Amino acid sequence: MFELMRSISIDAENGRASGVAYVPADHPLFADHFPGKSLLPGSLVLELAAQVAGPLAEEFVKTQLKIERWSILGMVRDARFLQPVFLPASLEITAAISRSQSSNVSANVTVTVNDERVMQAELVMMMLESSAEWTAAIEARNDRLARWKEAS
Amino acid sequence: MSTRDTSAEVAVLVRQTLALPESEPIEPQQLFFYDLGFTSMDLLDLLFRLEQHFQIEIPEGTIYHLARADLAESEFAEDAVLTEAGRARLMILLYDTPKELFPARIHVTTLPRFCTVGAITRLVDHKLAEQKCSS
Repeated sequence: MFELMRSISIDAENGRASGVAYVPADHPLFADHFPGKSLLPGSLVLELAAQVAGPLAEEFVKTQLKIERWSILGMVRDARFLQPVFLPASLEITAAISRSQSSNVSANVTVTVNDERVMQAELVMMMLESSAEWTAAIEARNDRLARWKEAS
Repeated sequence: MSTRDTSAEVAVLVRQTLALPESEPIEPQQLFFYDLGFTSMDLLDLLFRLEQHFQIEIPEGTIYHLARADLAESEFAEDAVLTEAGRARLMILLYDTPKELFPARIHVTTLPRFCTVGAITRLVDHKLAEQKCSS
């Protein structure tokens, strides 16, 4: 899913972030979903929203709580899928921190396509201390994040 | 005097967390992790529901701080493991949890695992009383 993100902008001071993802109609992931009428699965809409909420949560705890943690999507609460997302589609994602603790950070996320809200949810990001075996994954993620930020 | 039945309201939220039918009895002496099969994510979900429903805040470390009370940090836990005194304090706070369930070494991040439904109900009552006093 990482290659679908195009840009991200994070305002850690105010606990807000926005990002853009582009999903082409001919992406092999969606060949069977559905033939001739590509539809982005709701789970992947959530995953794209988490791609924005995760880095926001990490920068937020670093700025506000002065701790370095890595986030993974732990829980989805009150998710509402308001419109189907037919492909190709450019998704605009916003995230705003709603509560934060050292072990978990919640963010309200909304996803819009062509100015129409397609999904809203509260994502609970679990904040983990990194371990040595994560080094390569963290470096790759930081490279991606730098590219997304540069593009915004 | 408040006529609010916190216990019944907590039971409803526990059922919602586990998607249990209304007919499923939830009793104060039931342990979340041992009797109800809670996971740590279920507990987090329940805490969010409690906060939203009762309009209270339950920050992480609440059980830790309530159990420690006036005991010095270093007397309560060492290297994130409860001391003997800390373990005794936790057992006093969670008096309705069977004593044999408390292992010799208790990591400070695992304290909510020893809570009964009744203990969480007492915590909610405590938070509601705190809120009433400050308003």
